[in-house]
Amino acid sequence: MAWLKVIALLLLSHMTQRPFRTGLTIVGVALGVAASVAVRTANVEVLHSFEQAVLTVAGPTTLEVSGGDFGLDEQLIVKVREVPGLASAAPVIVQTAVRLDAGQPGGALQVIGLDLLAEFDSRGFRVMQGQDDNPLADLLKADSLYLGRKLAAEWHLERGSTIQLQVGARQVQARIAGVIQDRSDRVSSWDHVAIMDIAAAQVLFGMVGKLDRIDLVTSPEVEIEAAAQAVRAVVPPHVAVERPASRTRQVEQMVRAFRLNLTVLSWVGLLVGMFLIYNTMAFAVAQRRREIGIYRAIGMTESRVAWLFLAEAVLFGLLGGIVGSVGGILLAQKLVTLVSRTISDLYTPVSQGSASWFDSAELWQASVEGILIGCLVSMIGAIGPSLDASRTATVRALAPGDYESSRQLRVGGLAAGGIGLLVLAGLLAFAGPLGGVPILGYLATFCLLAGLSCLAPFCITGWKKRTLQGERPAGIQGAMREIAVEHAARNPGRNGVTVSALMVGLAIMIGVLIMVRSFRHTVEVWINETVIADIVVAPSTWLREANSGSGAKSLPAGWRDVLTTIPGVAEVDTYRDVRVEVKGQRVAIVSRDLRLHARRSQYLVRQGNSTDLLNQAVDSGGVVVSEVLANRLGIREGQSLEIMTRQGAKSFPVVGVFYDYATDGGKLVMDRGLYQSLWQDELVTVFPIYLNDGADREQVRQAIAGGLEQAQDRTLPPLIISNGELRKEILDIFDRTFLLTYVLEAIAVIIAMLGIVNTLVTSVLERRREFATLRAIGGSEGQIRQLVLWEAAYLGVVGIALGLVGGGLLSLLLIKVINKQSFGWTIQMILPFGALAQAVGLAAVATLVAGYFPARWAAQQPVVEGLREE
Amino acid sequence: MHQESQKLRFPGDMVKLVQLSKTYERGEAAVAALHEVSLDVGRGEFCAFVGPSGCGKSTLLNLVGGLDRPSSGEFYLDGRATTTFASNDWTMARRELIGIVFQAFHLVPGLTALENVALPLMLRGDGGRSVAQRVEEVLELVHMGHRKHHRPGELSGGEQQRIAIARALAHRPKLLLADEPTGNLDSHQGTEIMTLIRSLTKAGDVTVLLVTHSQTAAQCADYIWTMQDGRLVSRAPSPALTGVA
Repeated sequence: MAWLKVIALLLLSHMTQRPFRTGLTIVGVALGVAASVAVRTANVEVLHSFEQAVLTVAGPTTLEVSGGDFGLDEQLIVKVREVPGLASAAPVIVQTAVRLDAGQPGGALQVIGLDLLAEFDSRGFRVMQGQDDNPLADLLKADSLYLGRKLAAEWHLERGSTIQLQVGARQVQARIAGVIQDRSDRVSSWDHVAIMDIAAAQVLFGMVGKLDRIDLVTSPEVEIEAAAQAVRAVVPPHVAVERPASRTRQVEQMVRAFRLNLTVLSWVGLLVGMFLIYNTMAFAVAQRRREIGIYRAIGMTESRVAWLFLAEAVLFGLLGGIVGSVGGILLAQKLVTLVSRTISDLYTPVSQGSASWFDSAELWQASVEGILIGCLVSMIGAIGPSLDASRTATVRALAPGDYESSRQLRVGGLAAGGIGLLVLAGLLAFAGPLGGVPILGYLATFCLLAGLSCLAPFCITGWKKRTLQGERPAGIQGAMREIAVEHAARNPGRNGVTVSALMVGLAIMIGVLIMVRSFRHTVEVWINETVIADIVVAPSTWLREANSGSGAKSLPAGWRDVLTTIPGVAEVDTYRDVRVEVKGQRVAIVSRDLRLHARRSQYLVRQGNSTDLLNQAVDSGGVVVSEVLANRLGIREGQSLEIMTRQGAKSFPVVGVFYDYATDGGKLVMDRGLYQSLWQDELVTVFPIYLNDGADREQVRQAIAGGLEQAQDRTLPPLIISNGELRKEILDIFDRTFLLTYVLEAIAVIIAMLGIVNTLVTSVLERRREFATLRAIGGSEGQIRQLVLWEAAYLGVVGIALGLVGGGLLSLLLIKVINKQSFGWTIQMILPFGALAQAVGLAAVATLVAGYFPARWAAQQPVVEGLREE
Repeated sequence: MHQESQKLRFPGDMVKLVQLSKTYERGEAAVAALHEVSLDVGRGEFCAFVGPSGCGKSTLLNLVGGLDRPSSGEFYLDGRATTTFASNDWTMARRELIGIVFQAFHLVPGLTALENVALPLMLRGDGGRSVAQRVEEVLELVHMGHRKHHRPGELSGGEQQRIAIARALAHRPKLLLADEPTGNLDSHQGTEIMTLIRSLTKAGDVTVLLVTHSQTAAQCADYIWTMQDGRLVSRAPSPALTGVA
């Protein structure tokens, strides 16, 4: 107890003595923890709300029969009901409509069509209707829509209100017949959806005779897997029979690499925070060396000195962890939108959800984890300085003027270790992924950054030696520079840590910058080479929000005839994009007129000529597959690929592999004729239109709008976008995807800057006597400022130089190893010199700004007090 | 402490040095700070060391306090050989046997006078009322009871040194090492401090080793050793004892 009292007494005294440094360190840890907690929380929340939506709506369902994008023939339910061991089989439609607000598209609305008479009591919701209603008649009316409680409140709708909806290309009106509530009155997925009777939904979404899903409840005495086998025997081969939870697992699997990348990036803040803690504690040890001497002189053991400093670091971690957890959870609420939008853009529609677990026990779990992370990071960062403190030689500590470390850093040995780590990073980069995840690639990244950190002290002292060996700079300016460099080099250990923190922040910034710019350049090249059509006619919701359900993303094939008659239109392609499962992978099957595409456009193929390959695909009934899919399935040009079609399993020759950056899930392309013969799908997702030479694009666009308006009744104008607009939209999605990356990077760089402030304040405190002496012999305040700024500049130059090297190597790892293994994309590497110059300029300015305040403070210190220090 | 060293007891001496040397490495050069010093200091004796700067006085005191290690020679503390003492053995010695007073006071700046004095007792694991009583007792002994809640920055040099002495005495050491205790004080304060230290040796069984530049301070001792170039060159009884002063 007495020992705990000693620790408490000394900690309190230390933290109150240096409130600025204490605050700076806590802020640094808090930022790192906040980034980590926010990303983890957002990642979990997005999938959690997806899972919750799936499971809530599924209710007691044990198996789902699903036809994917093609839906199911409703007659199938009759066959399924005959399968023994099933307690019930319920038809379901899940489609998306868009609310129209004064004719303009507003929020998306997921509409679930259920057999309300049969299922009113089984799915866990209840409907609030008026007392005088005839509930039965109201349930079954064709325009009756029941809206989730929160959505009704957000949209200011109540029972009896009407709502305008856009479904595919049509505009329809529905009546709010009641409000849905979860039976338990808690926050639930029912709050943000609408339900209606299955028959009404079939009419509304143009799916008469079709279903999206059949939900099955198996009898308790029957094993679910046995029941699934029995159902599979009676349904067509392309129809999936699976448990509801497997949808969540599929999504988890699909976004695993994306989430992992994000998580690792969020750890950079913690890594830089670790450097900051090291710095702070190293400073504390240096500054309190005399105190350590006193403790040892009056009977404190070596181990207890070490524990004293570790305890202080843990306290920093605890406070930083608490602040960071709160900040992280607040930040997560913003990130949830970004993450869910990115996942929807790239993978599969996920709603932002109701943020339900922000109120739950998991909130506490996230907070506790954040605090533990803060403490752990701080402890790791403080191990070195604490051991240094415990080994302090008492006599030297008590001797006047000896603040510096009594242990000389083995700069050469550390540098050799650093080179060893760099070699190891190189070897790890050549290893393949483990379980589809680039674990060794991440390890290589860690070794790279650790290796360069180990080289930092050597660079600091090496530079100094070169400077001093060279011609001595003349004048006071030169002398100032030399004093600054000499002082920086005198503490290679502590300054090495600062330089490392800056290096890590900058290397990450540069590495990610090169990767993102290279990726963007690759995508731009891909767009320019492959997005050739002059105008694209698409469903009005095509580029908006997350769509689910085939109704919202298809157009009638008959429009092609209308479009080909428009003056100025040379040719019209029919592009159909549906998702199917191929060997356990969710794959986009694109069908189009391949001969037309061969004439007018191209795919960026890995080998051979696009035109020849596309014609060959038509002739041989083959497919061209994306590079991502080819890598995942391990197939090459000339091999064949088996796909489950509506006509059963078919084998297709793979005539070519092409680069594609539109989806992460993989894509295969076949001729529309072949597709229609196998899937009997007449719908079209978009119409790419090629114009005659010299045709006025804007005039043709207006003519298309006019022509389609006359051709269809009660139809909303489709989206008619030009080639330029489409290219811009694709790049906007790309930029949105990396927005989160920039936020996390910025946090890491800010923490690195805090490290520089910390180091310079340390340096100034240690050198008060030196500065006071300089002032006493005639040095001006300005000269003292210069001295500190020169030191900042020196550390900045070394950090930036290492950061450039690290960033370049990191970009190679990101592009050639991590991205390739995570997503399968081939990225052409470019060096964006302008952006690199901006990043370096930013780091340089930030370094000098970070150096300015300690410099000003140093210059303002009273001379007498400084001289009295000893 | 080690079993073997228990056998080697010199009941009469608190400190016994046998050809003790300390050499510092300065690059390629070796500097002898202390050269084969042999010395016996009996229990309850008050011994002063004087000599020019750099003659080895403080080095001698650091070795006796276990703050530094000798390069060669033997050192018996309270009858026990210290040659094989590990770092923790010295820590225990400082907790039980030795109290140290520094020229620069070396109080912990963030703690009050009371907390500074209590710190050695707390480090030993003492707690509760016994600590509070002892701290009050030694603070009264150095006449600083009225300033116990002040931090070092709020005290004069003389007051800080009194607190430092109180801290050195708190755990009832048998050996008090004082390194230039009056070096940072004016003559009036210096006299007060030396009177205080002198009174301690008279009152109890405390052996005092004093290092000083000040002849006035040295004259409070029982006898005075003069040092030069790391050697003890002469021993003389204090004028105070002989009645010369």
